[in-house]
Amino acid sequence: MSEVSEKLEEAISTVDKITMELVFAAPGNDNGLLSINCLAADLGEFVEDLKLPSDLSAALAEGEALVGEVFDGAGVFTEETIGKLNGWATWLKEALEAHRDGRGVPARAVPEAVEAGSEEPEMDLPMAEDAGADTEEPSLTLDIESDGELLVEFINESVEHLQNIELGVLTLEETPDDEDTLNSIFRAFHTFKGGAGFLNLAPIKELAHELESLLDLARQGKLHIEGTVINLILEGGDALKKFTGKISAQLNGEDQGAPIVIPTLELLKGIRCVLANPGSPGACGLSGGGSASDVGEFAEASASDEEPVAGTPEPEKAKKSAGASPQKAAASVKVDTDKLDALVDLVGEVVIAQSLVTLDPSITQLKSENITRNMGQLRRITKELQRVAMSMRMVPISGCFMKMKRLVRDVASKTGKQVEFEVEGEETELDRNIVEAIGDPLVHMVRNSVDHGIEKPEARKSAGKPTRGTLKLSAYHQGGNIVIAIKDDGAGINRERILQKAIERGIVAPDVQLSDKEIYELIFAPGFSTAEAVTEFSGRGVGMDVVRRNISKLRGKIEVQSELGKGSTFFIYLPLTLAIIDGLIVSVGDRRYILPTLSVRESFKPTPEMFCTVQGKGEMIDVRGRLIPMLRLYEYFNHEPDTREATDGIVVVVESGHDARCVLVDRLLGKQEVVIKSLGEAFKSNRGLAGAAILGDGQVGLILDVNSLVRLHETAGIEQPAA
Amino acid sequence: MSSNEENRIEDGDATQSGDRHVKYLTFVVGKESFGVPVMKVREIVRVLNITPVPNSPTYVKGVVNLRGKIIPILDLRIKLEMGEGVIDKRSCIVVVQLELEGGETGLMGLIVDGMEEVVTLDLKEVEKAPDFGTRLSTDYITGVCKVKGKVKTLLDIDRTVGMDVLSQGVAA
Repeated sequence: MSEVSEKLEEAISTVDKITMELVFAAPGNDNGLLSINCLAADLGEFVEDLKLPSDLSAALAEGEALVGEVFDGAGVFTEETIGKLNGWATWLKEALEAHRDGRGVPARAVPEAVEAGSEEPEMDLPMAEDAGADTEEPSLTLDIESDGELLVEFINESVEHLQNIELGVLTLEETPDDEDTLNSIFRAFHTFKGGAGFLNLAPIKELAHELESLLDLARQGKLHIEGTVINLILEGGDALKKFTGKISAQLNGEDQGAPIVIPTLELLKGIRCVLANPGSPGACGLSGGGSASDVGEFAEASASDEEPVAGTPEPEKAKKSAGASPQKAAASVKVDTDKLDALVDLVGEVVIAQSLVTLDPSITQLKSENITRNMGQLRRITKELQRVAMSMRMVPISGCFMKMKRLVRDVASKTGKQVEFEVEGEETELDRNIVEAIGDPLVHMVRNSVDHGIEKPEARKSAGKPTRGTLKLSAYHQGGNIVIAIKDDGAGINRERILQKAIERGIVAPDVQLSDKEIYELIFAPGFSTAEAVTEFSGRGVGMDVVRRNISKLRGKIEVQSELGKGSTFFIYLPLTLAIIDGLIVSVGDRRYILPTLSVRESFKPTPEMFCTVQGKGEMIDVRGRLIPMLRLYEYFNHEPDTREATDGIVVVVESGHDARCVLVDRLLGKQEVVIKSLGEAFKSNRGLAGAAILGDGQVGLILDVNSLVRLHETAGIEQPAA
Repeated sequence: MSSNEENRIEDGDATQSGDRHVKYLTFVVGKESFGVPVMKVREIVRVLNITPVPNSPTYVKGVVNLRGKIIPILDLRIKLEMGEGVIDKRSCIVVVQLELEGGETGLMGLIVDGMEEVVTLDLKEVEKAPDFGTRLSTDYITGVCKVKGKVKTLLDIDRTVGMDVLSQGVAA
């Protein structure tokens, strides 16, 4: 055997040895690494002696390079490097043998896709994802048992961060160089990243990291925030939100243990592209304008963001200021909302107990100066206590309004409209519960305004209006209530179309005469919608009646004003707080009932001429030309009144939406603010009663449910669809 | 059935040590003696001003304000079909805590004609309710027991005045 062929055999057997060593190699350790290293080095030396074709020679030397890779990568094997070495060794042996036998060298196959790519990467695995499995979205599996509490904290804090991010971004859209905002968003991502890293939430950490880098460049003035970047950040925020949403769900017992997968690769590509080309970020456009795609979901999710996750008490700041302006570092505490509610309830009780004592005859007849003075003091302190306690549940509506800002932007861009969003009175405070509950209805109405109200730029131009439409949300106090107004300068409500649709749908009789106000009220009828096409956002006609129902549940009411061609304004009236109601106390016999003053239009002593009976519709009262059905309360409650003579009693006109009733009672006892209590499960099915209140003398008064009272019979001229 | 009933008693009322002695609060309704597990009794108050709630079943007398909570009040005499009674100075309201659906609890007040005592019963001595047709469905009763020669009927208060019974009764 010639020297060359001897060396060749040696080389082949060295490759064999390498293959044998590789059998024992396993990811994560370095068994056999040194031997393979030596063998590979030996192979390298054969290159000179063997005078092989260049690609074979290169291949011989490759072994050392491959081993070098392992040394570089923390000194232990990985699936990948083992795979590469195996692939190389197998081919090399075949090639050498072929060369020895005088055959052609087999083509070298592309290194086989590493086995690891198809398995689920473990949480701890650092970003090997992008090297190997390029098309595989990383997934996340939670260890709720050991990390449960920490995860809850992480989620709670993330809510705030995400809000700040979104508000900040929208600010940046207008003032891209605002340092404070840039810093605040940067910090938000940074903190997010930290928390995620601590909890081993790899995909979240990665995303937050890239976003943080983006913001960092911007902070340093190396990246200009414009459209593409804004979209990337918004999408990033959305993805993070989805992650936290899923984690939250799992914490609540849904799908526990299931891997969480949220698509981020596309997004990450976009971000990395911008990071690589900070000078021309526009070139890294995302496909499909991603941010608007989930508008509906997102807005719903964010509007109901505040909803307490079932069972998990959400620590909340006692005073939440979610405004977009740079935060004043107001010292604040996080308080469990349960505790807050308990406190407010107890304070309500203190007020009543205090009044029971101070008004007790045995005390008042004591006629002692000291007692009188002290009682007065007690009363004053209690009042102040109540005021402060109530204010703790008050939250500015700005958070809610700001969520609408994003919604407006997304709906506008998706419908091709240009809309200017204004807010006024966002510092107005409402009961926390009301702010939560008003979110959904507001979302719906804002969508409506942008989708149907505001016209497309061309249409506006030809109507002589500015191409940018304006949507303005305002909130203010008025007469003991909170008013929220949604005003747009769009096309206004088309009276004729509404009337026509209503007739078509059988909601009104064809020849009935209705005032403008009555026609506008029709849009609140169930199943009503004049939208020509059902869009993604609105038009299904399930909206406005649900909106009205939700607002009624809050003991509020909604009205609309509109001018064709000029625009429409929706007014929502809400009580200041859900716990207290301003009530009109009436009596029927010896029983006392309460009517919410918000639903009371007027009251008067009826005269005989006002009455009339309509065939088939019962008793009616003529109230300034309008016939309103009468309801004798004693009849409904089956209870002896002071008098059955209607003219001896008092008529209270109550209304709910378009419907009204003349409720006959014995006497009006006064107006009072009362603390509302639920009647409890036992009386859930008792229609006509909305709850109970503790009157000033400690007695229980029953609150009447105006909504049911007015729907007892059909209203004149307007048929209600079967509820 | 008897093993079922006994199991029911054990599950609900047995003390932690597996002891089969349970404390019951006994009271008079009409001419008979009844008992409910002490664990279910929140408090006992005299008959306060009851605000009637219209369109309720006859045995629902109304609601009262108990230190800020609104509690429905039932007349046990009517519920147990003993006819309407008179409220005198011995009458009181026993406030019990009921199991509602979904694991929540609710309070309810029961008008009774007079309190008796708290007795500790050995569950072994509780007999199944008699089979002959009583006016009470045996659903309401967990058993019958003799204490100092007097027969006391032990009520399953959740079943007797449970919320579902109530809300069924309230037909608007």
